[in-house]
Amino acid sequence: MDMHQPGAAALTRGRILIEDVVKTYPTEGAAVMAVDHCSLEIEAGEICMIVGPSGCGKTTLLNAIAGFHAITSGRIVMDGETLCSAEKPKAEPGPDRIVVFQNGALFPWKNNLENVIFGPVMQGKLARKQAIDKGRAMMADAGLAGVERNYPGEVSSGMRRRVEIVRALMNDPKALLLDEPYRALDSLTKSVMHEALLEIYYKNKVTIFFITHDLEEAIFLGHKVAIMTTRPCRPKKVLTVDIAHPRDYSVLTTKRFRELIEETSEAVHEEALKAFQAGEREG
Amino acid sequence: MLNAQTAAPGDVIPVLRESIPFVDASGALLQRVAALGRPRRYAAGERIYNAGDEADDIYVVVSGRVEHVFGPGISAQESLKRMGRGGVFGWAGLVLGQTRRFASATALEPSEILCIGTEDLVRALEVEPLEGGAVMDRFATMIQREFTMPALLAKVRRLSGTPLTEEMSTLSLTLYRMSLWLKSPRPYLMLIGFALFLGLWYLFVEVWKLPRFREMPGITTVVKEWLSPAPTYGLSVFTEEYYQHIAVSIWRVAQAFLLATLLGVPFGLFLGWSRRFKEYVFPVFELLRPIPVLAWVPLAIVMFIATESAVVFLAFLASFFATALNTMLGVESIDESYVRAANCLGASRWQVFRHVIVPGALPFVFTGLQISIGVSWFSLVAAEMVSGQYGLGYVINTSFMMVRYPTIVIGMVTLGVVGYATSAMVRIAGDYMMEWRVRELALAER
Repeated sequence: MDMHQPGAAALTRGRILIEDVVKTYPTEGAAVMAVDHCSLEIEAGEICMIVGPSGCGKTTLLNAIAGFHAITSGRIVMDGETLCSAEKPKAEPGPDRIVVFQNGALFPWKNNLENVIFGPVMQGKLARKQAIDKGRAMMADAGLAGVERNYPGEVSSGMRRRVEIVRALMNDPKALLLDEPYRALDSLTKSVMHEALLEIYYKNKVTIFFITHDLEEAIFLGHKVAIMTTRPCRPKKVLTVDIAHPRDYSVLTTKRFRELIEETSEAVHEEALKAFQAGEREG
Repeated sequence: MLNAQTAAPGDVIPVLRESIPFVDASGALLQRVAALGRPRRYAAGERIYNAGDEADDIYVVVSGRVEHVFGPGISAQESLKRMGRGGVFGWAGLVLGQTRRFASATALEPSEILCIGTEDLVRALEVEPLEGGAVMDRFATMIQREFTMPALLAKVRRLSGTPLTEEMSTLSLTLYRMSLWLKSPRPYLMLIGFALFLGLWYLFVEVWKLPRFREMPGITTVVKEWLSPAPTYGLSVFTEEYYQHIAVSIWRVAQAFLLATLLGVPFGLFLGWSRRFKEYVFPVFELLRPIPVLAWVPLAIVMFIATESAVVFLAFLASFFATALNTMLGVESIDESYVRAANCLGASRWQVFRHVIVPGALPFVFTGLQISIGVSWFSLVAAEMVSGQYGLGYVINTSFMMVRYPTIVIGMVTLGVVGYATSAMVRIAGDYMMEWRVRELALAER
């Protein structure tokens, strides 16, 4: 049996339900709809990839889950607890759902280790000394031994991303929300980062909500891939990737992987074209 | 592995010299590295290490041939490399954040190989951080060019970042920058600049006697007066009065600058942090800020009966505006992601302020303080010229009234030197408090 399929492992935390979520932005005249009656189920411990063209509203959805933005109507529930709804439109940001930002948000004025221990120390969950021990161990585990005392600005961008993920995992979160974290990386670095992410994921099971515009990345990493329509954002097609985990780079050359790409690329292309045309009109 | 009698340490120095990392290392360093080496023999076909093994030793081929094959998943352009005498492999332990072997290595023929403990080597390189750093850089180049690893993976550890040099890292960094500066043409260009300026002053005033400069004191007059034990106009480095003036001015600036910092930084932080507060206060602030300090002189004299506090108040005023404005801009420049990340990680509002807002605004704060100390001197001298008993501004003004022209120049040059020194002190304090930024900038320069 594959231990890494969701449901198979005894993971019961981090199930996210997005129910009929709408987000509109008031502008002069008509309100602009960013998210349109979006519903999506993310199982506990699942890697759910959200694919859509840039500016399609997927980050709006992530911000709603994280608690950075209010929603207009609908409901987001995690493990039975309502994060936000029409009555309480803005969720409270917290260490159970940690965001890894598009451009990275390690504090440049703290060294890598201080960044990593930030969460538990601020929450008072661990004493500084214990946090340091745990942080060192987790960094070593993620192949980051030796850079604890370096500042984020001194290590490569790939390494910074790993530090940021370790910083999140230090809090034992239910879910990680990744907002196109590898967008700025070149494709070689990206491939290294994908495997590193999977390796970390296999060791620390959490739900991963991962936003990207790269279909190959989505199918390579995800258990589930949701292809979104462009503005307003809504799942157009939800695909279960039936390639067993653990995966490594050999997956990219398998027949099944290619088939899945073919099945979905048209839907993605359609949305990209729509986004492009909308942009042309506005421009 | 065979442990037969092998080469003596002295014999391996020529081999090291043929290897890329040590190609232009000094004799002393080569000696230290050679002393660390343990020669070993491998039979043809013998495996030296496997991918995934602990990366403990670095190897240098003394004789024979070795095949180096990257493990799966390592994104090198060429996964296979064969090397002979002088070839260096097993360097994974030098790569940032790496503790395991990337590749496997096999002897192709009976080979003699020098093994050097990675940590021993790093320590040996740290003895002379400058030269050691150069060796590490050449390792990085070799890993990237010869072993075709992408630049991302070819990043080697930083010597100064290792725990051994942790305590002195700021000092060694300063020394390193200093030595770089001395090696660059900059200090010499600077000297030429000064020479040109002083030379022109000499030529204009004393040699060519240009019309505009006829009344100007010449450089020789000024220097003579400045260094005279019995100055014609009563002020030189040998008179107590000279230092009294300097001390009074510095003391006034210090009071004004400290007061402006103590009030301006929190005020600016608050302006940037609280939208409500800014809406109340900022319009008034923006209206007062452009008023030149000289326009405040009469009111200052009316407000403060004592001239002393009036002068300090004027120097304070300009300082305060510069500090507060830059601090506010600093808070506003902080990327929203940092605040959001801190919220995600469970920081309270106060913790966000303490750990994100304050350090995040610090670069701007120090820019503000640099400007602040400058305008503080500026307004001080203006104030001293209008009202005051002592101070460099007072010296300049009274010397002008009493036609002691060389003394004016002495006052001006002294102001330049003292002003520069105080400004440098602020910069050094900033570098000390923002080591992260100093390191970032140092990396960006290279």
